[in-house]
Amino acid sequence: MAFLRAVQVEMLKIRKSKMIWITLAVFTMAPMMAGFFIFVLKNPELAKSSGLIGDKAQIFGVADWPTYLSMLAQIIAVGGILVFGFVTSWVFGREYADRTVKDLLTLPTHRMILILAKFLAVMLTNLLLSVYIVLLGVSIGFFIQLPQWSLEMVSDSGFVLLATTLLTLALSTPPAFLACYGRGYLAPIGFILFMVVLAQVIAAAGYGAFFPWAVPAIFSGMAGTETALGAGSFFLVLFTGFIGLAATVSWWLYADQH
Amino acid sequence: MNPVIQLSQLSKRYKNFSAVEDVSLEIGKGEIYGFIGLNGSGKTTTIKMLLGMVRPSHGSCYIQGRKIELSNHSMWANVGSLVETPYAYPELTVKENLEIFRRLRGVSDADVVHQVMDQLKLTGYAGKKAGKLSLGNTQRLGIAKALLHKPEILILDEPSNGLDPTGIIEVRELFQHLAKDLGVTIFMSSHLLSEVAKIATRIGVIHQGKLLQEIRTDQFKDLLQKRLVIDAREKDRAMTALNHAGYSAVFNKEGRIEITADYAVRHPDEISRYLVSGGIPPTHLALEEEDLESYFLHVITQRKE
Repeated sequence: MAFLRAVQVEMLKIRKSKMIWITLAVFTMAPMMAGFFIFVLKNPELAKSSGLIGDKAQIFGVADWPTYLSMLAQIIAVGGILVFGFVTSWVFGREYADRTVKDLLTLPTHRMILILAKFLAVMLTNLLLSVYIVLLGVSIGFFIQLPQWSLEMVSDSGFVLLATTLLTLALSTPPAFLACYGRGYLAPIGFILFMVVLAQVIAAAGYGAFFPWAVPAIFSGMAGTETALGAGSFFLVLFTGFIGLAATVSWWLYADQH
Repeated sequence: MNPVIQLSQLSKRYKNFSAVEDVSLEIGKGEIYGFIGLNGSGKTTTIKMLLGMVRPSHGSCYIQGRKIELSNHSMWANVGSLVETPYAYPELTVKENLEIFRRLRGVSDADVVHQVMDQLKLTGYAGKKAGKLSLGNTQRLGIAKALLHKPEILILDEPSNGLDPTGIIEVRELFQHLAKDLGVTIFMSSHLLSEVAKIATRIGVIHQGKLLQEIRTDQFKDLLQKRLVIDAREKDRAMTALNHAGYSAVFNKEGRIEITADYAVRHPDEISRYLVSGGIPPTHLALEEEDLESYFLHVITQRKE
């Protein structure tokens, strides 16, 4: 009961914040951009007349559902690290920035319950953001009448989208720890941006499979089919997620809360 | 009677700095304990250790006989607290801020939110976002959160911060009512020394992390230093005469004669008679009493010496 109450309260705090609606608005831009590029790609005459945009659109290959859904998975893989990390940073960091953490520490509820409720609320919010992006993207896909829609394609792409989302979600726990350790938003946001940049560099160097923050993007197909991920890569992501979770819980349980 | 709040040889060290050193005190049911000290004296660190936010380097805290530790979280059901500056979720309204803590504390009676808003005169601000409240009303909201679940113990750090004079009186009366009529035990720190003197049943003076003195406020009057302040047309003659009589008179900052000798303080009439008989009648003779601020500085200075 205490856990459910805590989750309910966390969801209320997220729903009432401007942060979530700004995040949603910014994240909305991504499938719209993808839809626009695919639309340009789908119309060769438009691609020819639109110069640089037309050239950029050619990078994505062909204008069909598998390509488009792969683009959505890539959006979640890269955008998700930023957006999910930002949501996590806010949920944990705001308690320190607004100094409300002191109220939470003197509740007749075990701190473990409170922290796990926060994580669940973050996961649910980020999952809903992913679902929203996919639904919006699919609606745009139908609107521009992409070819090659089939149940088999939906099943394959759906799996990639779901797995990419889960991998990205797992990587949102380290920012939670940094938000607590740094007592605010700056440290985790700086960390997320650094990891996204570092992931690009490491993936370009060919070691992306060994760097957790590069794995979701590689899995989503961003690096092409030639880059293979082994079980070790997925384990690395889950292990990073677990370390972030354990560090955050330990911080709440054992660190001095000034 | 078992103490409701007990600090036993409590210490907190940060590398080479000792924030709190060997503080022990006991507070009984229905007592209002005023914890006074300068900024950085260790008040907030002590309160944070008492609330389980900071781990003591040595010693322990007990609430209703239960040691403050992570596994004893259920004890917070009986405790309301307010630490440092006011805080609330700025995007939520006053009512929502209280409502979420009602839920988190598992209080089933939804009406307590209205009751506490009424008690703290926040009903008119129920729909206002906490981030838009004045400092005084944010402080009222902080106190409302502390009182929401009708706790038996209140631990409050600077509860009068940001309140206007009316607010200070209202909150003082509320705390006195809670302690006197409902037996609520209150441990409060404040830098408003005169306010603490009005409300507390006992005062603890902390300085440089050490508890220097504990005083019962009903005995407080006896401890305050009294002095006889005298003025005369011939001050130097009066001073010589008084010192000649063994009263250790000195000139104070205002250039008046001041005597702190116990006999003189208890018999100002004799001092007056003595000066008149010596042909130096006083133009001013008043018995003045040290206030809490002066007493507090006096205690700290003695410690430094």
